Amino acid sequence: MKNLIVTLLLCCAASQVWAAEAMLENIKVDTDLPAIARGVDDLMNNCHSCHNLKYITYLNLAKLGIDRKKIDEWRGDQPMDAPLSGLMSDEAAMQSFNLVPPDLSLMTKAREGGASYVYSYLLGYYNTADGVTHNRIFPATHMPDPLGMSTTTDHAQREEIKKTAHDIVSFLSWAADPHEQERYRLGYYVIGYLVILTLLLYFVKKQIWSRLK
Amino acid sequence: MTSKIINWVDRRFPLSSFVKHDLTEYPTPRNLSYWWNFGFLAGFVLVLQVATGVFLAMHYKADVTLSFDSIQHIMRDVNYGWLLRFMHATGASAFFLVIYIHMARTLYYGSYRAPRELMWWTGQGLLLLLMATAFMGYLLPWGQMSFWGATVITNLFKATPFYGEEVVSWLRGGFSVGDPTLTRFFSLHYLLPFLILGGVVVHLIALHTVKSSNPSGIDLAAKDNIPFHPYFTSKDFYGLGIFLIIYCLFVFFFPNSLMEPANNIPANPMQTPTHIVPEWYFLPFYAILRSVPDLVGGVVAMGLSVMVFAFMPYLDRSRIPGGARYRPWYRMMFYVFVVDMLVLGYVGYTPPSNETLMMGRIATIIYFAQFLLLPFISRKEERWLIQRGLPSELKELMASDTAEQNKIQSHRRSGDSK
Repeated sequence: MKNLIVTLLLCCAASQVWAAEAMLENIKVDTDLPAIARGVDDLMNNCHSCHNLKYITYLNLAKLGIDRKKIDEWRGDQPMDAPLSGLMSDEAAMQSFNLVPPDLSLMTKAREGGASYVYSYLLGYYNTADGVTHNRIFPATHMPDPLGMSTTTDHAQREEIKKTAHDIVSFLSWAADPHEQERYRLGYYVIGYLVILTLLLYFVKKQIWSRLK
Repeated sequence: MTSKIINWVDRRFPLSSFVKHDLTEYPTPRNLSYWWNFGFLAGFVLVLQVATGVFLAMHYKADVTLSFDSIQHIMRDVNYGWLLRFMHATGASAFFLVIYIHMARTLYYGSYRAPRELMWWTGQGLLLLLMATAFMGYLLPWGQMSFWGATVITNLFKATPFYGEEVVSWLRGGFSVGDPTLTRFFSLHYLLPFLILGGVVVHLIALHTVKSSNPSGIDLAAKDNIPFHPYFTSKDFYGLGIFLIIYCLFVFFFPNSLMEPANNIPANPMQTPTHIVPEWYFLPFYAILRSVPDLVGGVVAMGLSVMVFAFMPYLDRSRIPGGARYRPWYRMMFYVFVVDMLVLGYVGYTPPSNETLMMGRIATIIYFAQFLLLPFISRKEERWLIQRGLPSELKELMASDTAEQNKIQSHRRSGDSK
């Protein structure tokens, strides 16, 4: 019996899911337009050379309210409804990295830990004593340190990189779930309506049942 | 004018007598608690799933090269497509939650006992159909977990004697899960809910023949029955309000909490996810499957763990009414069973390790031991309870039941008010 209890307790403590999440830096993404606009700007400068966002088009960005001049700069002669496809071909990527970089449209929903995972991953690069760059969140990664976290030692610059990562993740969260804010707004009305309706139904029920002796 | 129309219809279709028999004069025990709301809720969720599903099918494309994209099309471009999809995905979880509570209530109060065995068995059939429908629906988004979940589960049919390999490729329509699997799962996912609807009608006809059980477990005297409408319609709608609040909290605020992150990655047959988990409602049965070292044994154990409920009317040999309410040993077993299910669920969720494997095995043994020991325990408990003297409350109820039965010999069923 004692053994059983110890085993049960150990099972709870040994849960790997908790261990992995403990390593992540939990963040709350920004949902305001300026942050998302900064995020897409940083993404176009740092990630777009290799990564696609095939479910996001330039038109989506324009509708969101991103500066039209910047959009025109990014898309060049592509039509407005073209997706944000990366600049690197799959063949070139296979040659350089031995894999095709994953699409980023759903990235913050496609990893355990969500936006916090992507943020921690972007900042997770470090150099070992013999000068090799590793990532503490995803050791098997093929991506070179995109924001230069591993080589930056200056505190102010590190803070700057953190802010950039935060903005990029904020944009990616929007990209993964563009209707999220609309969903919350609608949700408050729906729940409010249902609470009132349920209260009324409760009184109806009470009224009807009071007829019974 | 209205009565004229109704008269016209009544001469051709039993409309008024149907409304009378099944609503306004349908006798329902007045002591039903809120645990009796869940059958109605299950019916509501079924309609909700069919309604949202029909609209989703208008935008969905069953093709391995298109289905993942078509889900994103629904989520991003279709007007309120995200709402339809989140309602449908959350609805699946809600359906199982409601059904499991509905079943737990039946087990707790012993509602499966005579004369309600057929209700219990049709319910068991409906559960199997529901599981099949949910499993096939999960393949449709064509994400990593969809693909690998379907691969693992169809693989289980390898346990079929002699023709294992053939049966597996016959089910998949190929040697691995692929386009033929996706299209047939879509077709069946659209078909099965209508079979479920038919099954629900049978379930309800059986219910309206034997009438509802009630917390006392004794068929009540006619005076203790009240018409379904307006008493239970109002009670069911109030319960529905509470249910909808919880459901909408998930739909609008935490819809992704019920979805596996890996399913936001398109299916890739070349890359196995590190950890394949089914949806939460299959976890206890999945844990039982994994607890048996042998494939055939595991499949048999998993099948039995779902089907064993059907034997309850014969396994429970106590004649003390009221299910767990008046039966302390059975009540104990009920709670052990619930905790055991939760432990199995946890084991099914975590990646296999020595500790969870042992935990799963113990929980699996407890699971089956409970069913196997029930005939002896329930018999012994009955003798013990009678020896100790039944609670006066129960004696009174049983006495009034007997008196009622003696008075009207021919109408012994609960609720027969003639």
